[in-house]
Amino acid sequence: MLFSSISFLYYFLPCVLILYLVTPRKLKNFVLLLSSLFFYGWGGVNFLWLMMIMLAAGYIWGLLVGKYREQKIGKWLLGAALGMNVLTLIYFKFADVFPIGISFYTFQIMSYIVDVYRGEVPAQRNPVNFSAYASMFPQLVAGPIVRYADIAKQLESRAHSFDHAALGIRTFVLGLAKKVLIANTLGELCDIFRASNDKAVLFYWLYAAAFTLHIYFDFSGYSDMAVGLGKMFGFDFMDNFNYPYISKSITEFWRRWHISLSSWFRDYVYIPLGGNRVPKGRWFFNIFVVWFLTGFWHGAAWNFIAWGLGFAVILVIEKMWLLRQLEQSKGVAAQILRHVYVMVIVMISFVLFNAADITEAGTYIASMFGLGDLALVSKETVYYMRSYLVIFLAAMIGATPIPKMLVCKMQETKVGKTLLDVAEPIALVILLMVVTAYLVDGSFNPFLYFRF
Amino acid sequence: MKKKSVVVTSVMAAVLFGCSVLAWTKETDAFSDSERRELAKYPKFSVESMMDGSFMEDFESYTLDQFPFRDLFRKLKARIVFDVWGQKDNNDIYIADGYASKMEYPLSKPMLDHAANRFEYLYETYLLDAEDIYFAIVPDKNYFLAEQNGYLSLDYEELISYMNEKTDYMTPIDLTGQLKLEDYYYTDTHWRQENLTDLADYLLEAMGAESAEQEYQKIESEIPFYGVYYGQAALPMEPDTLNYLTNEMLEDCKVFTFETGKPVEIPMYDMEKAKGKDPYEMFLSGTRPILTIENPHVDNGEELIVFRDSFGSSLVPLLAKAYEKITILDIRYVNSSMLGQFVEFGDQDVLFLYSTMLLNSSLALK
Repeated sequence: MLFSSISFLYYFLPCVLILYLVTPRKLKNFVLLLSSLFFYGWGGVNFLWLMMIMLAAGYIWGLLVGKYREQKIGKWLLGAALGMNVLTLIYFKFADVFPIGISFYTFQIMSYIVDVYRGEVPAQRNPVNFSAYASMFPQLVAGPIVRYADIAKQLESRAHSFDHAALGIRTFVLGLAKKVLIANTLGELCDIFRASNDKAVLFYWLYAAAFTLHIYFDFSGYSDMAVGLGKMFGFDFMDNFNYPYISKSITEFWRRWHISLSSWFRDYVYIPLGGNRVPKGRWFFNIFVVWFLTGFWHGAAWNFIAWGLGFAVILVIEKMWLLRQLEQSKGVAAQILRHVYVMVIVMISFVLFNAADITEAGTYIASMFGLGDLALVSKETVYYMRSYLVIFLAAMIGATPIPKMLVCKMQETKVGKTLLDVAEPIALVILLMVVTAYLVDGSFNPFLYFRF
Repeated sequence: MKKKSVVVTSVMAAVLFGCSVLAWTKETDAFSDSERRELAKYPKFSVESMMDGSFMEDFESYTLDQFPFRDLFRKLKARIVFDVWGQKDNNDIYIADGYASKMEYPLSKPMLDHAANRFEYLYETYLLDAEDIYFAIVPDKNYFLAEQNGYLSLDYEELISYMNEKTDYMTPIDLTGQLKLEDYYYTDTHWRQENLTDLADYLLEAMGAESAEQEYQKIESEIPFYGVYYGQAALPMEPDTLNYLTNEMLEDCKVFTFETGKPVEIPMYDMEKAKGKDPYEMFLSGTRPILTIENPHVDNGEELIVFRDSFGSSLVPLLAKAYEKITILDIRYVNSSMLGQFVEFGDQDVLFLYSTMLLNSSLALK
């Protein structure tokens, strides 16, 4: 089930909210678990069993690792638990069918088991609480990857308030609007480009820009919805994005993009390998391992591996030399240049990321640089540039902190604050209605990160 | 606790639960008039349909099709697309100069080849003894509207010359100079019969058919005509007026259909259909695979066979004045290989009358 669907918004969610509200406190996690299983099963009953086995196994591994973590056998148990999750994930990465969300829930289970082994959290003795954590529907199928340690206390006891609910509603509706109004519209343009027989160099760049914005609004919109839903149920999930497209280096970009995944790899792979506190050669090796795995996490295909390793190369270059140069450069022109550098690399990386295979990626990237025996511009390029101009502008501004800054600025004055107080519920209702209109009318509505 | 939080939560909860209650309790609509299609109904539940996911899929369709105030939401979406995002089209539908149209783009050579192959089959199977074979391509509304208003448009010149090259056994008749934008409905794909008398005379002259001058009376149907683009555009538009031409000769003509294998007489203009879902179907009763028009006012022994799409429905009656009998065939609804069972092919004149839209999307031709 998609968050951005009529069935979720007006059938599933209201029922779950009512059930959750009327249920006594100690049964609320049970309601969440049942809702999550229904939510997951709706997308395909076939893999529900797999998730339930993984949940049961994760629960038992957690208890065993917790019990024996100070003994020698503890290490073996940890290895076996991680091995089971990793092998399952690898199997399905190569299989013809892919269970939705498996990359996310296996990573959550693994982080939990490692944290238990490290003694950072006690093993969860209540199977309902553990299963509710690992399968919680707001973040089940596309993240963010929530650490058990972050919500362990909330699983036991959490406060529900109007402030929390209102913040959750706002975050959810804004995420929904990002997804439906911007990401889906730009996604349609990407599909038009792919189907076009009238490609041109400029059309390739238009596609690269459209997909770069599409994937951000799609994924960050989903993450916002997850965070918002979490708040409605009393949980605080970490933010997964922090305006990545304002970055001035690729190093900074990866501190702002898919934060829950990059911090997962940092804490559970990079640092255990020694991080940067090792000889230079080993340090670079660690970086390449992490980025190979990041690529592979997205799919067992060469374009994902190349995408991950490409970032490893750029990050090594930045760490060796370029980052210093970039940080030393001052002045407006230098700032613009730094931004252009980041965006060109990010756009090319996403063209590679979204390609059907490595050959197509090569063709696309070559065509962007005029190596494809193509005209500079075509009839379709001009038409779609004009037709999508306002959306591009809105998406570009929306990908920066400018709208948030404007709201903060308004809140500084009494009149502005009053205006915002009145406008907020009205704006949220309008947004929800417009999103509903798009959903009722349209059919284009896939989530990119469901396939990872 | 902030007052604002209470207001936001309460207002949003009221909207969410309000819409939810409406969605759960709304009576099921069977048909969408604006989109001219049946709407999805609540799916039947079974263990099988749940296991194979078809129940969930059908339920998703049901929630979309049966959502309360669906047409209103579709209109809102169209407004946002055009007025807020400034997009040039909504699901490929655009409005220019007051006319709604659907972008027909790009040119599809495989589709043209398919059409040409079907025509060649007809020629080789039935038409080797035909007197003369003519091919008239009807430009769709976009020919006069799209490029002029900055929309993507077919290369009509290429389409017409490509088709003419592929059908060199036919004599082409160029209709592009005989039509203008005003000859089409505002809200529909088709042309207006009341504007086609000169075009009909031009066609007859090009085919060397002789006929007496006919005066027609224009009858204005009082039924508002919301064409196919009206529903698809989901924008407020005035309905078209549906007019038709008649006179004593046309009233005396007999129209037969052969769907049951035997001739059944039907009206030239079916006023019941004019009140139906697609009023344009009033012309020759819409989608009919095989029809004949017999004209008792003509006794020159001339016969015409017309292979046509829906544009032919309103035009062919205006050709009746020159022929004793016209056989009208629509190979979208009857397999070409079956035609010999219903039609006696001989030395008749033959006209292929197809729109650019159909040729560029010709898979329906059997």
